[in-house]
Amino acid sequence: MKRLQIPVESTTLANGLKVVVAPDTTAPVVTVGVYYKIGFRLEPRGRSGFAHLFEHMMFQGSANAPKMQHIKLINSSGGVLNGSTHYDVTNYYEAVPSNALERVLWLEADRMRALKVDDENLRNQRDVVKEEVRVNVLNQPYGGFPWLDLPPVAFRNWANSHNFYGDFNDLDAADLADVQAFFKTYYVPNNAVLLVLGDVKAEEGFALAKKLFADIPAGAAPQFADPTETEQTEERRGDVEEKFGTLPAMAIGYVVPQRRTADWCAMALLDQALHGGRAGKLYRELVLEKQIAVELDGGIDDIFGYNGPTQMVTRILHKPEYSSEQTLAAFDEVIREVQQSGISEEELTQLKVKWQSDYFSTLEGGHGIPRYGLMHLLACFTLFDNEPQLVNTILDGFLAVKCEDVQAAARKYLLSQKRAIVFRTPANAGKEAA
Amino acid sequence: MATRAVETNSGVPALASERQVTWPKRQRTVLANGLEVILVESHAIPKFHGELYFRSGNAAAIDRGPGLAEMTATVVRTGTAKRTSRQIEEDLRGLGADLSSSAGSDSCAIAFAGLADHAEPLLEMVNELAREAAFPAAEFERERRQKLEEIKLSRTEPGFLASERLRKVLFGAHPYATVSPTEEQVAGYQRDQLVSLYRDFYTPANALLLLVGDFQPEAMLRNVEKVFGAWRGAKPQGSVYPAPASPRGRQVHLVHVPGAVQTQILAGCHAITRKNPDWIRLGLTNSLYGGAFNSRLVMNIREDKGYTYSPRSSVNPLRQYGYFSVSAAVRNDVVAASLTEIFYEMDKLRSVRVPEPELLDAQNYLSGIFSMGLATQSGLLGQIAVVALNELPDDYLETYRQKVRVLTPVDLLETARKYLDSANLQIVVVGDRTQIESQARLFGDLQAYDAHGRRLD
Repeated sequence: MKRLQIPVESTTLANGLKVVVAPDTTAPVVTVGVYYKIGFRLEPRGRSGFAHLFEHMMFQGSANAPKMQHIKLINSSGGVLNGSTHYDVTNYYEAVPSNALERVLWLEADRMRALKVDDENLRNQRDVVKEEVRVNVLNQPYGGFPWLDLPPVAFRNWANSHNFYGDFNDLDAADLADVQAFFKTYYVPNNAVLLVLGDVKAEEGFALAKKLFADIPAGAAPQFADPTETEQTEERRGDVEEKFGTLPAMAIGYVVPQRRTADWCAMALLDQALHGGRAGKLYRELVLEKQIAVELDGGIDDIFGYNGPTQMVTRILHKPEYSSEQTLAAFDEVIREVQQSGISEEELTQLKVKWQSDYFSTLEGGHGIPRYGLMHLLACFTLFDNEPQLVNTILDGFLAVKCEDVQAAARKYLLSQKRAIVFRTPANAGKEAA
Repeated sequence: MATRAVETNSGVPALASERQVTWPKRQRTVLANGLEVILVESHAIPKFHGELYFRSGNAAAIDRGPGLAEMTATVVRTGTAKRTSRQIEEDLRGLGADLSSSAGSDSCAIAFAGLADHAEPLLEMVNELAREAAFPAAEFERERRQKLEEIKLSRTEPGFLASERLRKVLFGAHPYATVSPTEEQVAGYQRDQLVSLYRDFYTPANALLLLVGDFQPEAMLRNVEKVFGAWRGAKPQGSVYPAPASPRGRQVHLVHVPGAVQTQILAGCHAITRKNPDWIRLGLTNSLYGGAFNSRLVMNIREDKGYTYSPRSSVNPLRQYGYFSVSAAVRNDVVAASLTEIFYEMDKLRSVRVPEPELLDAQNYLSGIFSMGLATQSGLLGQIAVVALNELPDDYLETYRQKVRVLTPVDLLETARKYLDSANLQIVVVGDRTQIESQARLFGDLQAYDAHGRRLD
């Protein structure tokens, strides 16, 4: 099979800002990203949801680009922009015609240098974030299920177990001093990576980075809370009420082994064997064969983009005529089968071909942004591993996995005492939707 | 082409000169059996993306059964004369491929993507699904029950309830009024109906095959001829329905969801299809109104007032008719305030010329994002599909930016007056009646419904 060799060059400025450039002339478009190594996992206690609220504040104005100017300058250059908050990183990105490259970098440098926001901006974005939580979680059937429901059951360390979108009381308590302190602590060049991808030459990218970012002073190295979990020794269960939906649901999460180990690679292919679309063992058994489940999906979310405890999660909505215990029993039967019999050589070969094919697509796009996936992986490999070239070699570990490794991973990690289960039960079960 | 050099902020770098945008060559062939084929090279990744469209969808199937084209498309992938459902899924995985089979109002489509190395076997799979689907009885029965549960679920989603109601209001007796079948209709589907729809719709004379990716067009065309060449079948007979009447006067349609903690607003009116010469100017007007982050509506009700997270307006082109719509999920206590601003911004565009600098910004935006499609195989496929399915001129991609650039403030004023039909806008609100009814009534006569579409007193 063809391999993909992505040209990647990187450097570090004197202030600690890492710069990664990946030239590609497919289209006269350039994608710019700035990733800060702070996500909702490590936001301050008593300030749940703050990392995400802060992300919104980064669009509210900086020293030379007041509120609305940032968005206006990108859109009017023919580009699009957004940001997103993850467990361990927060990103800001733009895709623009390449003639706007310097302007985009100037804007990113301006807000890395000096955020300029006031109380009115904070009130405004607090309201916007609350509507975001309502539209995605509180006013949606199965909203936030299971990404917000499972962590409080699965984990004991606050870093991993709190409400990442934020309790409204915590959002209300956040003030401008919190915003400035957070900015000063985490939004320093030595805690960030700048990515420039697409229609740009490496030397041009480095020169512009130096010109626009080099005078931003480094900060103290941020101190991070330890997200380590104590060893789990028994199954954990929790219940959440479903307000709108009429189908009972459950999510089952197993702790994933340490990233970039041989076990982690085996677990990833095991995950594909279980969750890989309609060919996946769980979908085939519970939806297609036994016809217990209506929806079933899952896996290790954003497998290259986290840097702490995480889970492989299965999400199931099932028919009301089956009890939760019956559904779980059918799930367990699939797990037991893969522990006892493993997977065949033929299956493993298929899984590897699909894994590689999916990887190419991941790099090419995502979120409507050219090369979003490549940007995301380069950023995470830089911030977590200081090794952006991993985008060209990370596949090797997965392609080296053997059948017995997959079975061993099933026996070692798919244990009841290593899992957590959340049941989301409709308040109006059995009743017709009003 | 001109781009803006002057900036209001100190230090903002000017834009460098615009780089040339070169659209790749589209190689168009019609096979002897009537199958239209368009091939485009794109070598960013060693994969290819394809879509096999049939130019008939749920609207054309309405007299056979609402949603029947979608049900048929769902069952198509569950078995062929040569492969069982399980073989199909495992073979796809072995090719590193993704595949979906679905139907919209105007077309059915088998969409696929896979490794360039395995192009021929994937095309063979697509060919089998398009010509030799077996509709196994047990698979049909399962998918039908599955569909019933999906329909029940969708009736709990505010976004679905809003769009379902708006389409009913705008399209009345026309097939476009129906976005989803009822549970009773799904329960009544017969396997024979699927088989007969499949025989009529899935024919080469009714089809368009688009392939974009890492291949040499000549070699790929030989593959396509080899795989699809022996296929036979005529274009289906289409039914003609009377044009839907555009509803007169603002009216409010409330879908009651007890306990809702937010209100989904969706308002709309009739507009145009992509074939209409006004399409591009309406697109530009929409992007100024609420089609971009930097648009007036987003700046107003999100960035200034904080009423909502995701306000948006859009022009929705169906094949025969189009409609304009604006949506926002807002706090319950600002439903009236949000609607007021929605109308204010619309009426302002209808009465005051857009300032030149703002127009230039919007032109740059639309023209810039149009070229983004070049960067990915799926993006390119999407844009080429739009041109082919709507039978737009061959140079549509090449001339689009120029057509955006020449528009003037007067053009936009006329366009807003013609299509942002504020006086006749139909307003759908989905939320808890007890929280929002009195606010919504301020904007017109109100009719309330439950989630199943039954009228409430």
